[in-house]
Amino acid sequence: MTEDKKLPRIGVYVCHCGGNISDYVDVAKVTEVLAKEPGVVVARDVMFACSDSSQNDMISDIKNHKLDRIVVASCTPKLHETTFRNVTDRAGLNKYTYYHANIREQASWAHTDDKEGATVKAIRHARAAVAYARLSEPLESIKAQVTPGVLVIGGGVAGMRAAINLADLGVPVHLVEKGPFLGGQVTALSNSYPYGKKGQDIVKDIIAELRQRDNIAVYTNADVMSTDGNIGNFEARIRLNPRYFKSSRIEGLAPEMLSESLTADTSGILPKGGPVNMPPFPGAYPNIPCLDMQDCSEECAESISKACGDAVDIHQKSETATIRAGVVIVATGSDSYKPSKGEFGYGTHPRVVTLGQLHRLEARDMLHDIHTMAFIYCVGSRQTKIGEEPANEYCARFCCNAAMNISLVLLSERQKVAGDLRLYHLYRDIRTYGRNETLYEETLKKGAVFIKYSEEDPPVVSAESGRLTVTVKDLLTPLDDKLEIPVDMVVLVTGSVPNESNDELSQLLKIPKGADRFLLEIHPKLRPVETAMAGIFIAGTCQGPKDIRETLASAQAASSKAASVVLMKELELDPYVASVDPKLCNLSKACMAECTYGAIEVKEYEKLGPRAYVNSARCKGCGACVSACPTEAIQLKGLSNKQLRAQIEALGKEV
Amino acid sequence: MMRISPSIHEHGSPQELPEEKYDVMVVGGGISGMQTALDLGDMGFKVLLVEKEPSIGGTMYKLSKTFPTLDCASCISTPRMASTVHHKNISLLTYSEVREVVKAGEGDFKIRIFEKPRYVNASACTACTLCEKACPVLVPSEYDGNLSGRKAAFIPFETAVPKAALIDVDNCIYCGACERVCPAECIDFLQTPKWHKVRVGSVVLAIGFRLIDAKVKPSYHSEEYPNVVNAMQMERLLSPTRPTHALVRPYDGKEPGNVAYILCVGSRDDTVKNPYCSQVCCMYSIKQAQLLMGVLPLADVSIYYIDIRAFGKGFEEFYVQTKNMGVRFVKGKIAKIEQQENGDLTLFYEDIENGGRLSKASHDLVVLSVGMLPEEGVENVFKDGELALDKIGWIKSPDENKAPLSTSIKGVFAAGTALGPKDIPDSAVEGGGAAIEAAAYLKSLSRNRVGEATEEMPR
Repeated sequence: MTEDKKLPRIGVYVCHCGGNISDYVDVAKVTEVLAKEPGVVVARDVMFACSDSSQNDMISDIKNHKLDRIVVASCTPKLHETTFRNVTDRAGLNKYTYYHANIREQASWAHTDDKEGATVKAIRHARAAVAYARLSEPLESIKAQVTPGVLVIGGGVAGMRAAINLADLGVPVHLVEKGPFLGGQVTALSNSYPYGKKGQDIVKDIIAELRQRDNIAVYTNADVMSTDGNIGNFEARIRLNPRYFKSSRIEGLAPEMLSESLTADTSGILPKGGPVNMPPFPGAYPNIPCLDMQDCSEECAESISKACGDAVDIHQKSETATIRAGVVIVATGSDSYKPSKGEFGYGTHPRVVTLGQLHRLEARDMLHDIHTMAFIYCVGSRQTKIGEEPANEYCARFCCNAAMNISLVLLSERQKVAGDLRLYHLYRDIRTYGRNETLYEETLKKGAVFIKYSEEDPPVVSAESGRLTVTVKDLLTPLDDKLEIPVDMVVLVTGSVPNESNDELSQLLKIPKGADRFLLEIHPKLRPVETAMAGIFIAGTCQGPKDIRETLASAQAASSKAASVVLMKELELDPYVASVDPKLCNLSKACMAECTYGAIEVKEYEKLGPRAYVNSARCKGCGACVSACPTEAIQLKGLSNKQLRAQIEALGKEV
Repeated sequence: MMRISPSIHEHGSPQELPEEKYDVMVVGGGISGMQTALDLGDMGFKVLLVEKEPSIGGTMYKLSKTFPTLDCASCISTPRMASTVHHKNISLLTYSEVREVVKAGEGDFKIRIFEKPRYVNASACTACTLCEKACPVLVPSEYDGNLSGRKAAFIPFETAVPKAALIDVDNCIYCGACERVCPAECIDFLQTPKWHKVRVGSVVLAIGFRLIDAKVKPSYHSEEYPNVVNAMQMERLLSPTRPTHALVRPYDGKEPGNVAYILCVGSRDDTVKNPYCSQVCCMYSIKQAQLLMGVLPLADVSIYYIDIRAFGKGFEEFYVQTKNMGVRFVKGKIAKIEQQENGDLTLFYEDIENGGRLSKASHDLVVLSVGMLPEEGVENVFKDGELALDKIGWIKSPDENKAPLSTSIKGVFAAGTALGPKDIPDSAVEGGGAAIEAAAYLKSLSRNRVGEATEEMPR
């Protein structure tokens, strides 16, 4: 290899990835071919390019062979581009002279049936990367000031926990809750595992902690309407919906006007209550009622206004506010699965209830005349997808534990009184994972009967003259006949489903959803609380079903990530923005017409006069301007047309 | 991993080092401990990460691929190990044990750490492997689950951090061969243990778990029957860095054609005093079954289970996919295993879904899906204040409805499998969560933050 000053000095590393690549791609051959490419000074194959020892070897190569550009052909850049950029950085090279070739997802994994073809494809990809690297230039990352605050969307236990932890670090938090009160889904639990605590007591404790912090601003009854900006600098518009009540003075109101808000039930089993949503428990926040105007006629509103005087302003209008924050934590939770009418008798028989309804009935002590009860598990979860109909194929995780827990509560309460409660658990697999297994063990010991049914032959609930019967084939007993179990109540063990607002939210924040329609993390192990949008994190059950403990832990993980951004004063952003070569610009302004971010201006250049100019703080690097420019004067840094053409040519070259 | 008796290292007079100060000490360099250290480091805190093994990485680097995404475990753990060691705010102490933690006051922990001698000057070692080649002593390799051998002078594994040799003096015959070939002259038999004195503001325990020893179920004969392996050994056999070139069974090197998994070995089992479910075994067995079908397309795979617990994100979908690939799921607990003359194994079980009759099945390789138990003795390290454990010995949070990663000692937090059986995603999440707990604790000490909340416009 000659010492040509003009040629760059490129180091190429082809990774075996254990066997992930080398089982299907002839790594040695790829290395051999790449070694002959112009500019390549070092070409090696390595077992794990990402391991520390390989990284150190690269650094010594860079120093010993005076390399100025590095190419690693390995897995997807999503996984390790940053890893190798840091290697070049540690070796004293500009980190943007690093380029990544993906020969795992694109070659070895995609072509396990064709080793020769996979090898050829890997060579082409690696060559294209080298062609790119040859033309790459050192770039400076963009420095952005960080707005010192966090926007937390969702005021359930996850959102509150995140807010508290961040507030303790001195970070100002804006906590936005859609509903009229803080607390979320936990509020409605009559009993929770592992301590047997009421949901509202858990919420109350966290609210008390929250209110001791003076740097958390709470907005209830508020929606996020739009967001804009990037990591470090987000701006959200929120709508503060009218509450109508200004204080908690309601002495003049008739009891039927009130409803218990979050713990109320809308299925018709329990009385619905009136339009005035009362704080769900002492210690709720805010401790002020909220009028549901949708549920209140004009006369109704007038009568409330008359009864409550200046505690109410029925003409209150919604307002908007702007929140600026460095990062966003999404903690919007999930919904409970609502069975369709007729699903296991739901909606057709009043004594077929969901797990959530059972909690409400238990809380109100309304189960006295129930002596036999059948729990049917996996209602709305673990569904098999048939045709195009959406199905909840996932397991909702906490429902087995929750069903065992409430069974134990019922059994121990009842055994104290009369000892006359018989419980049947109709399940597919009992998933009381970890130490929750002890809940299952105890339920068994207390005499509950467990019956395993198969998904293909699910239990049937029928009602004759007011008496419910569950018919089921038990897989655990050798009987050929089905069991017919007369019961007083059927409990459908329902899990959680993605929040209805997920569609809207994922569009609003440009964060993806998974196949299960829950919000999607980048990587479940490496980046479990980060989303594809840098600076937007997810916490709690908006990501997938979780119990309280798991929800809190994930909220804390999200707040750790949030803190590591906002505690920095300045942020380094990738420099892949557009820039103008004023000598080539003919001021067609075609770029300005294409730019939706308003990032291109006209500026006076010395000697050249007015030409286009890119405000890099506003540019998002979308490239729309590049394709519009008639003279190729505007180019994306790190992705010029020259580099693209060189890559395409290299891809097409015969192997 | 390296169970080298501490007694030997206590010999020779240990060196006492001057006191050092850090914001936080993280104990355990597995997937959660590394996450805690990295997140704290990113927030600007100075972290000391202490690992008792010669390399960080925990359990994960030994695995083949991980459920439910089938990412290769090395691709996730090794770069994480590299980011940890290169982080400007993280200091690393490997092959070291925390022996004493005294809480002198809020935000003030006095700690004594015992660093075992490697008998190799790790900073000078280039991991050239010449010592390994020269060493005449061959002992079973812990890294490979005893399925292969290693030398007494050895590098823990290919992607170890730090990547440096050490001498296993328990097995060393002091022949001096390693010393003679070492080009860096970094082998030093006169190394003595070191006592590090450290003061930190907060402690995070990410001490991981202990794999259940299948011996607790004598009727499975894991020690006598060579073709009864545990799941961690199977991980090694399935790994790209596997000890043998092909996947073969230990008894005779035959390619297995009919593999059985026995779930809940040592878990959900009062007879071995572990009533808990280990939370990961169903899923790793299902994952291994999928990998097996890839490596040995002709092999039959059966999984004997009590309940299949595919509860996490994407798990149920992965389970259904595995069923559809043709893995056989049999509901039944295996009562005992008998070895046949050719090394094959007979499994005796109750075939629950077929009338519950007693049945027999023959397999040529049996994998025991062993679970997790707590690391022992962590509570003894705390000299001031009691570290509360649950009845099995896992670290217990005083109120997990409020702060699940707290411990009974204020300022001491925990993450990952230190708190109970857990998979990798949950361990990584808790690692991150413990970081903010420690950070918030330290900050709350340094300023008087408690004040009356300002009443926001209650809309």
